[in-house]
Amino acid sequence: MGLRSSMVLLTVLCAAVQAADWPQWRGPGRTGISAEKGWLDQWPAAGPAIAWRAAVGLGASSFVVGDGRVFTMGHADGQDTVFCFEAVSGKPIWKHSYPAELGDKFFEGGTTGTPTLDGGRLYALSRWGDAFCFEAATGKIIWFVNVQKETGSPVPDWGFTGAPLVLDGRLILNVGEAGMALDKATGKVLWKSAEKNAGYSTPLPVEIDGRLLVLLGSSKSYLAINPVDGKEVWRAPWVTEYGVNAADPIVSGGKMFVSTGYGKGAALFALGAGAPEEVWRARAFRTQLNAAVLHDGHLYGVDGDTTSIGGIKCLEFATGTEKWAHKDFRTGALSMADGRLIALSGTGTLMIAPASPTSFTPTASAKILDGKCWAAPVLANGLIYCRTTRGDIVVIDVRKK
Amino acid sequence: MKLDRRSFLRKSAVAGAIFAAAPFIRTAPPGRKFRTALIGCGWWGKNILKEAMASGRCQTVALADVDATALEVAADQVNGLSGDTPKTYKDYRELLAREKPEIVIIATPDHWHALNTIAAVSAGAHVFVEKPTGHTVNESRAMLTAVRDSGRVAQIGLHRRIGPHHVSGMQFLKSGAVGEVGMVRAFAHGGGDVEKPSLNEAPPDGMDWDFWCGPAPLRPFNKRIHPGGWRNYLDYANGQLGDWGVHWLDQVMWWSGGAPLKRVFCAGGRPVRGVPVLNTKEQTSDAPDHQVATYEFEKFTCVWEHRRFADNNSEKHKIGAYFYGTKGVLHLGWRDGWTFYPTAKSAKIEHENPQLQEPDGHNLALLWADFMESIDQRRAPVAGIELAHRATVLPLLGMVSWRVGRSLAWDAATERVIGDPEANQFLSRPYREPWIYPSA
Repeated sequence: MGLRSSMVLLTVLCAAVQAADWPQWRGPGRTGISAEKGWLDQWPAAGPAIAWRAAVGLGASSFVVGDGRVFTMGHADGQDTVFCFEAVSGKPIWKHSYPAELGDKFFEGGTTGTPTLDGGRLYALSRWGDAFCFEAATGKIIWFVNVQKETGSPVPDWGFTGAPLVLDGRLILNVGEAGMALDKATGKVLWKSAEKNAGYSTPLPVEIDGRLLVLLGSSKSYLAINPVDGKEVWRAPWVTEYGVNAADPIVSGGKMFVSTGYGKGAALFALGAGAPEEVWRARAFRTQLNAAVLHDGHLYGVDGDTTSIGGIKCLEFATGTEKWAHKDFRTGALSMADGRLIALSGTGTLMIAPASPTSFTPTASAKILDGKCWAAPVLANGLIYCRTTRGDIVVIDVRKK
Repeated sequence: MKLDRRSFLRKSAVAGAIFAAAPFIRTAPPGRKFRTALIGCGWWGKNILKEAMASGRCQTVALADVDATALEVAADQVNGLSGDTPKTYKDYRELLAREKPEIVIIATPDHWHALNTIAAVSAGAHVFVEKPTGHTVNESRAMLTAVRDSGRVAQIGLHRRIGPHHVSGMQFLKSGAVGEVGMVRAFAHGGGDVEKPSLNEAPPDGMDWDFWCGPAPLRPFNKRIHPGGWRNYLDYANGQLGDWGVHWLDQVMWWSGGAPLKRVFCAGGRPVRGVPVLNTKEQTSDAPDHQVATYEFEKFTCVWEHRRFADNNSEKHKIGAYFYGTKGVLHLGWRDGWTFYPTAKSAKIEHENPQLQEPDGHNLALLWADFMESIDQRRAPVAGIELAHRATVLPLLGMVSWRVGRSLAWDAATERVIGDPEANQFLSRPYREPWIYPSA
């Protein structure tokens, strides 16, 4: 296999943020895991405390939280809206609407991307290529550019979905065959890639052999690019039905884990100087929308397409061996903090369970939402933010009193 | 030396263990597997192929699609489900010539059904082809002739002929419990709104868009057409009437034993979606957003309605057919099963739930099993082409009436419109070169 894991130094870069905030897609370390500790992993029989509720319109957009504010997106009546609420009280602070198509291709439509918070600014990308930079506190637009029109890159079937990645002075977007970059201060295009379909993952920064790369799920492969000039470094061919390479790859110990839906399944690749080499393939772990989390050598993720019964599975990272499967979860999503999975089923049941390769045994469970849930629950500062695709938000209070 | 499955089993003591280890394979009945091929590797074609694989009686030897990516995805999925390693072809004619399949599944868009089917049965294959049979009436006639001449089995994808609640509902209807039925109203309603044009673009890498269009007009590529959206582009299909309409009008043919049509009138348009757009820059679909078609038969009248706007709960049922009889009304539906609303105030409402395969709510497994059995027993399949052709003619004639804007008197024996040369021209259409319209 030519594994050179000892020679490959590889770390996921962390954005500099407050410990318990969740300023970007999949959290501070882009792992789906929060560093937060000391929150309630049990609640009374009557159910958990509800901090607040809101309605934001159609969409699968997740949340970002920082500086006492929470942000998400939704769609209603021919418009997308970016919302900012007070994180603890849910009091609306600002919102910005812009015209957008519903985009109800094989689902109910609405926003699919998640904004990104960095340095007092909020960056948002619509399915149709509208890229915004807002002043996070006020919603004032600092710059706006439609990157689809700017680059001529086609809109993939379900629109641009990956969240913007802030990396040094650049905003890297999964637009075009192998991404593009804007100047984060001005919105000016720094580089772009071939005018071909993008995938749906969020650009992931990694350091491999001392070299900073960005990994992207493209329409027909997972590939690595140099964020400075956009040059492709390598690619792992990975063809998924409809080009839905959506789940972010997971990189650990010189290996890259990839998993997608539509019966494609998962694989582990060894990363080295040349093209990635497949270590193992497991067909029965298919993360269609949300990537898994990696904890103590095991992956925990949602297996199955939105049209299937779905389930949570645990897979050994090194070997691809399935450890357990919890069925009837639909295509919900999960995140993690302090060794516990925070899992929201596709039908709105929130469960807390220790992340263990032995079994899935929730310490708490409650039906908190009615309707389809695709967005991963987000824990930040003792509050868990959850939503349906219809746009009903419920915020669960798990702060210790 | 290649071993067939039977001799392999005889010679290898560990064969059972090897086959048991392959994922998702159900126990294969004794005997050789059918060499099976799929033409059209989209969502629905793969749904059908999954049933072929699940039956344990089919070996997927080849796949054809004009999109190289779709082929690659399908071949990988087949391998994952069955362990088979199908050969892949862009051109279905090459597949038929080289692989000599015994069974061919055809799940291309409507405008390809006739050429694909005629080529497959002429090459000696049994065929499972999606509904509607043809895109124009004379294509369907040519398919009927080719199947008859070949002596092969052709199952049409009308799974509502075998769905358990359809079978029991039809038994209920034919038992006389509904009384004398004088009128049927079939319908499929859904939501929708104004349609904005979307930008044309280059076809995806590896896709031969010219071949996809084939005998039909070459439109600029647009994501709204492919995948899936072609049902609402009249160059390639016949809108909701050709898609959903054929399922429910087929139920009427099934119930009436293929009653000969006497007259049809169809009105409709796009007052909500808007005037169709087609230029080099952008386009919309062009199928009507609503249609009402009245079909006159000797002993009853049948109305078809569809609407792709104003989706709400004002009506009890959104999809299906009402059979209006002297003893009450039977609604035969989809996910709502069937329900009988009796006329007599003292009588109780009767109901049966559906038994569907989810998530797509069909009964393909049963239809595939019937296909296998009809090949084994050399009998007609439940959704054979004779009646399916008659069922397909109904929506296609509705479309002709809608195009010419008048009612059509139909001679079911000769399958010609009486005294209307213009309407008769629409029973066929010009093919794009080099494709040749099939003759009946």
